[in-house]
Amino acid sequence: MLIALLQRRTFRSYPWFTAYILSALLQSAGMFLLYRTSGLKARMVWNIAWGAQAVITGMRSLAVVEVIRTVFSHYDGIWSFTRRVLLWVGLGVLVYTLAFSHGSSQWIILNFIRGLELAMAAVVVTMLLFARYYLLPLAPVPRTLAVGLCLYSGFYVINYSVLERSLQQYAAFWNFLGMVTYVASLLVWLHGLSRYSVEELPLQPAKISPEAYGKLSSELNLRLYLLNRQLTLLLHPGERRP
Amino acid sequence: MNLPMILFVLLALLIIFLLAWVTRPPRLHSVTPDNIFGLLSQPRHCARLHFILQALRPEDTEFLAQMGNAALMRGIRVRRRQIALAYLDCLEEEFETLLEISRAIAIMAPEVIAMEEMSRWKLSLLFSVKCALLRGRLRLGLRPLSGFVALSTLATGMVRHLEAATSSIAEHTALGGGLPGLELSGPDAE
Repeated sequence: MLIALLQRRTFRSYPWFTAYILSALLQSAGMFLLYRTSGLKARMVWNIAWGAQAVITGMRSLAVVEVIRTVFSHYDGIWSFTRRVLLWVGLGVLVYTLAFSHGSSQWIILNFIRGLELAMAAVVVTMLLFARYYLLPLAPVPRTLAVGLCLYSGFYVINYSVLERSLQQYAAFWNFLGMVTYVASLLVWLHGLSRYSVEELPLQPAKISPEAYGKLSSELNLRLYLLNRQLTLLLHPGERRP
Repeated sequence: MNLPMILFVLLALLIIFLLAWVTRPPRLHSVTPDNIFGLLSQPRHCARLHFILQALRPEDTEFLAQMGNAALMRGIRVRRRQIALAYLDCLEEEFETLLEISRAIAIMAPEVIAMEEMSRWKLSLLFSVKCALLRGRLRLGLRPLSGFVALSTLATGMVRHLEAATSSIAEHTALGGGLPGLELSGPDAE
């Protein structure tokens, strides 16, 4: 994956995503060495491992922000609106997850990671819904990156929540599922990067003045309202409003 | 597994389901910056609301039953309900087109008015629910009408309102030779 990112010079357009892949690779190598060679206590290794995982999740959050920015930054108007909505969605899901997560202090990092993963999945899917609603031309590369990120986060939450209670008993199976999810996401990203060019820039949208938008928008809303009113009349014809 | 865990899993499953839904190929859309005004000035179906309401009035066909043609009355009512359903389809199509236009304009805007966008979402949801409800009632042969008080006046008022809204937009177009402040900055500019 890293080779594909470097070879196709995708790292220029997606530096945070590249950094995330690189850090995931370093984390895996570091953990391997830590488990095999260090003489640290198990509790200490556990804390380091999950601390590193929290960093990786943080990097993935930045990659998500990067993908969203790539999709929406050409559209000034909806970008500022979308940004606010996505921020509220992300914070809402994160707060909800943390509020309903139980367990001792050693689970704090895990619960936080799960909250962040769920928030990321929700934000990515909301972003795709926005793009579909506004009929934005979504370039294939950010699209596949978004799909991979959302899939991984969604399945991570399922794995973690289902196996949380019996984590120790099924640790190997849990690790296996985590690996399968990650490999699936990598395949989605590799498919996108190898098949499509990152240079494919979306068409720049036409511009309109704020006054023209304000006038057209309210008039369109009025027409939509009147159409809706017609339907109300058909449903409840006795009703009469000014 | 306790309730919060079940909710987490359900939420994650919902997100994955939404992801599958949202990544379907997008349907082709007809609205482009160039044809917005063409679409806005198309004839509107609301002008026919008066006739549809009239056709759905039970009194309009009751005389047939009184004359001993109950079967004919039923047949006519079924046909009229079908026409009302077709009218409903047209209204829905018109609503969708207006929504598409509003989205196309939002894409071009320097900053969208969040309240107006939200109100459109709400209106669009309300419209879909009402459409489904009305369609169901018509298909089941239930009477969508119960009162019918001066509806034609209201319908005419609405048409006038729409005319005023469209002429205001058209006025802008005529004065500026296009949308005021519209400047194509992308590859379409040429």
